[in-house]
Amino acid sequence: MLSVQNLSKSFGGVQATRDVSIDFPDGSLTAIIGPNGAGKTTFFNLISGAIRPDAGKVVFAGQDIVGRSSLEVVRLGMARAFQVAALFPSLTVKDAVTAAVTSHQRKSWTLLQRFPLEGTQHRTDEILELLGLSSKANTLSRNLSHGDQKLLDIGLALAMDPKVLLLDEPTAGMGPDERWRMIGKVQHLWEVKKMTVLFIEHDMDIVFKIAQAIHVLKYGAVLAQGTADEIRRNQDVIDAYLGTDHHLAHAAGQE
Amino acid sequence: MKSGVLRDLAVGAVLVALLLVLPILFPKPALRDFLIYVMAYGLLAMSLNLLVGLTGLVSFGHAAFFASGAYMFGLLMQSGTVGIPVAMLATVGGTAVLALVIGAICVRLKEIYFSFITLAFQMFIHSIILTWVSLTGGDQGLRGGIPRPPFLGIDLNDAMTLYVFCVVVFILCIAIMRQVWRSPFGFTLRMIRDNPTRANFLGADVVRVKLGIFVLAGSMASVGGVLLALFVSGAYPEFGFWTTSGEAIFMIMLGGSQLFIGPVIGAVLLRLLDHFVTIYTDHHGLVLGAVILVIVLGLRQGVADYIVDWLERRRETRAAAASVASEKGAA
Amino acid sequence: MNLEALASCLSTSACAVTQVSTALIIGMLLFMVASGLSLIFGVLGVINFAHGAFYMVGAYFAYAAYQATESFAVAFLAGALGVGLIGILFERFIMSRVYGKDVLMQLLVCYAAILIFDDLVKIIAGPEYKMMGMPEAFALPPLEFGGGFVPAYYVFMILASLAIGIGLWLAIEKTRLGKIVRALAINPPMVSALGINTTMLYAGVFGVGSLLAGIAGALAAPTRTLTPGMGLSILIESFIVTVIGGMGSIVGALIAALLIGFTRAFGAIGFPLFVDGLMFAMMALVLILKPSGLLGREPAR
Repeated sequence: MLSVQNLSKSFGGVQATRDVSIDFPDGSLTAIIGPNGAGKTTFFNLISGAIRPDAGKVVFAGQDIVGRSSLEVVRLGMARAFQVAALFPSLTVKDAVTAAVTSHQRKSWTLLQRFPLEGTQHRTDEILELLGLSSKANTLSRNLSHGDQKLLDIGLALAMDPKVLLLDEPTAGMGPDERWRMIGKVQHLWEVKKMTVLFIEHDMDIVFKIAQAIHVLKYGAVLAQGTADEIRRNQDVIDAYLGTDHHLAHAAGQE
Repeated sequence: MKSGVLRDLAVGAVLVALLLVLPILFPKPALRDFLIYVMAYGLLAMSLNLLVGLTGLVSFGHAAFFASGAYMFGLLMQSGTVGIPVAMLATVGGTAVLALVIGAICVRLKEIYFSFITLAFQMFIHSIILTWVSLTGGDQGLRGGIPRPPFLGIDLNDAMTLYVFCVVVFILCIAIMRQVWRSPFGFTLRMIRDNPTRANFLGADVVRVKLGIFVLAGSMASVGGVLLALFVSGAYPEFGFWTTSGEAIFMIMLGGSQLFIGPVIGAVLLRLLDHFVTIYTDHHGLVLGAVILVIVLGLRQGVADYIVDWLERRRETRAAAASVASEKGAA
Repeated sequence: MNLEALASCLSTSACAVTQVSTALIIGMLLFMVASGLSLIFGVLGVINFAHGAFYMVGAYFAYAAYQATESFAVAFLAGALGVGLIGILFERFIMSRVYGKDVLMQLLVCYAAILIFDDLVKIIAGPEYKMMGMPEAFALPPLEFGGGFVPAYYVFMILASLAIGIGLWLAIEKTRLGKIVRALAINPPMVSALGINTTMLYAGVFGVGSLLAGIAGALAAPTRTLTPGMGLSILIESFIVTVIGGMGSIVGALIAALLIGFTRAFGAIGFPLFVDGLMFAMMALVLILKPSGLLGREPAR
C-alpha cells in the first residue's frame, strides 16, 4: 500500500535522505531506527507531504503523492503524531479530539450547528477509550502530563481514521516503565485498528520486541532492513551503533 | 448542546430587555447616544475579536471595514436609489468582497507581518477616502446628511425608533457571532489559533479557514459602521484611521479576548474613559496611552482575561486545599 | 492620469533632474527609517510600530535644537542621539517586558507609545505646522547637473544617508560586533553562552535602529513641514519597503526604498491619484510572487 522509491532530499549541501526505497505492506508494524541525525524525522516529513523530496516517489493508495500538500496527504488517509506532542493547549482533551473528528468528517466549516456535532461524539469517546484518556476528557490539553500529551497527539491522528499512521518517537522523554506502557498501547492500537503503523524509536528492546520489520537509516540512507533477528545479527548495524549505542551490541550478543 | 442554545437565547433576551428598558428608565438622549456609540464600536471590537481571540490573527486594520460600512451605506443612501434594508445588505456584501481581496493577500502571512500589512491596507483605504474628494468629500467627510427614508412603516428619523432599530441589528449580529463562536467552525478557528501546523495535519485548510473568518469579521464590522453612519448621519475618514483600529484592540484588551461578550464590555469601559478624559483634559492621547501602558506592563494581559485567570487560580487553590483537607480527613 | 506631463518632464532634463533628486531624497529617507525597522525586526523579532513616531521626534528634536543654537550640526546630533537614547529607554523599560508575549501586547504598547509621543509633541511644540527652514550652512547656490538644478542640501542629504547606509552595512557584515548581532538574530542562547550580555545587545540594537529613525527625522526637518502624527505615513511606507526589499536585508531596503522614491516622485506628475495604489500593488505582487522579498532571507509566510 505505502512504498517509497529512490527518495532523496538535501538541505544545502547536506544529504538528509539518500536514495531510500522501502515497501510497507498493508497492516504492518514497522520501526525506523538509526543514530541521531540519521534523517528519520526528515523521512517522515517527506512521506507526509510536509517537505517535497528532490527525487523519488512516494506511492500511497495507488498513486504518487509527491508534490501533494500535507493536507491532501492527510485526506488520503495518512496521519502522523509528532516527536514533541503537537496539541491545542487551550482546548480540553475531548474538545480537541472532537474538533479533529469534525475536521475528518469534513465539517470544519459547519456554521449553523453547535459544537460538538452529534455524529462526532461516538467516535471521540471511542478514541479516548482506546487510549485510556476518558477520565481526562475535560482536562485542558496544556495541563496533561507528558505521557498523556503524547497519547493525545496520537489520538488526534487517530481521529483522521488513517490507513497509515506515522509515529515520531512515541516514547520520547519517558521513563522506562512509562515507555513500555506507551508502546503497549501502540501495539494494542495497531492490532485493533489494523492500520499500517510506522514508528521511529530509540529503545532497541522495544523495537526488537514489537516491530515486524525494521529499517535502519544512517546518514539518510538505508543501512539495513529485516526482521528483529536479522537486524540483531547484521554486522553493519552493530558497527554503526558501536560507540554510539552499546546497548544494541549488548542486545545482539545476548542471542 | 440544546441547553447551550437556550442559555444563549435567554442571555440575549435579557440583553435586549436591558437595552430597551435603560433609555425608558433614564430618558436622557445622552444615554441613548452613548449606547448607540457603544453598540457601533462594540460590533467593531466583537468582530475584531473573532480574529484576535478566536483565530489568533491580530489585525491592526480592522477599522477599514468599519469605514467601508459607513461610506458604502452613506453613498448608497445619498444616491437615493435604494431603501435602508437593501443598502445595508449591499454594504455588507460589498465589504465582504473588499475583505476577500485584502484577506487573500494578508492571511498567508506570519502573525506580525499580518498585523502590519492589515495596518498598511487600512491606511491605503484611508488615503483613498482622503484623495477621492468628489466621491467621499475627502477630509470633510460625507456631507449633506444621510437620508433615512421610512421602510416597512419604520421611520428612523424618530430618535427612539432609530435606537430600537440599532438594538435589534446589534443583537442580531451578536447572535450571529455567538453562533460562530460555538459552532464547529469556531472550534476549527481555535485549533488554528493554538497550533496552525497541527490543524493542517488534521485536515483543516488553514489558509481558507482564515480567509473565511477574515471576510466574516469584516462584514460584521461593516454593520457597526452602518449603525454609526445612520446615527451621526455622515461618514468621516477617522472611521478608517489607524487609531480606530487601535481603540478596537484596546477594547478587546480591556474586556477580554476569551470572554465572548468581553469586547462589548471593553467598548463600554473605553467610551466611559473617553467621556471622562475629555471632560478633564485635552490631552486625550497622553492619558489613554498612559492607561494602556500601565495595564499592559502591570498585568501583561487584558484586564478581563487577568480577572478570569485570577478567579480560576483562586478556584484551583481552593480545590487543591479542599482535596488536601479531605485526604487528611480520610487518613 | 496625466502621462503626457510625465513624458514631457522626462524629455526636459531640467525637470527630470529635479524629479530624480526628489526621488532620491524620498528614497534615502525611507531607506533610513526602513533599515532601522528591519534591523530591529531582524534581531529582536518585534516590529516597532512606534518607529514612525521616533522619526517625528527626531525631526522635532532637530527643530528645537536648531531654534536654540542655529547650528545644523547640533540639530542633527540632537535628533539622532536623542532618539537613539529614547529607543534604548523604550526597549529597556517597555518593549523588553512584552517579548515573548503575544503580538497583541506588543501592538498595544506601541499604540500607547504613538499616542503619547504625538500628544507630547502637541503639548510641547504645539499642534500647528512648523518649518525649520534651510540651515545657514546650506545657503549655497543650487548645484547644476545636466541642465537641472539641485539644492545643495539635497545633495548633502543623499550623500549623508548613503554614507550611513554603507557604514551600517559594513558594521553588520564586516565587524566582529556585527557578527555577534547576526548570531543573536539566529541563536540568542548561543550568544549568551559565549559570555556576551545579550540584554545590553538587544537594547543597543534597538537603540541603533531608533537612531536611524532619528537621523532620518533630523535630515528631513529642513525640507518638510513638521506636524504631530507626521510619522505615520513614513511608517507605512517603510513597511512597504521592508516587505518589498525583504526583512533583514539592508541592500534590499535600499533598492526598495529607491523604487518607492521614484514611484512617488514621478507618479506625482504622471498619476498623482494612483501613487498609493501603485505602491500597494507592488507590495501585493511581491508578497504573492516572492514572500521573502527581493533580497530577504526569511519568508513572510
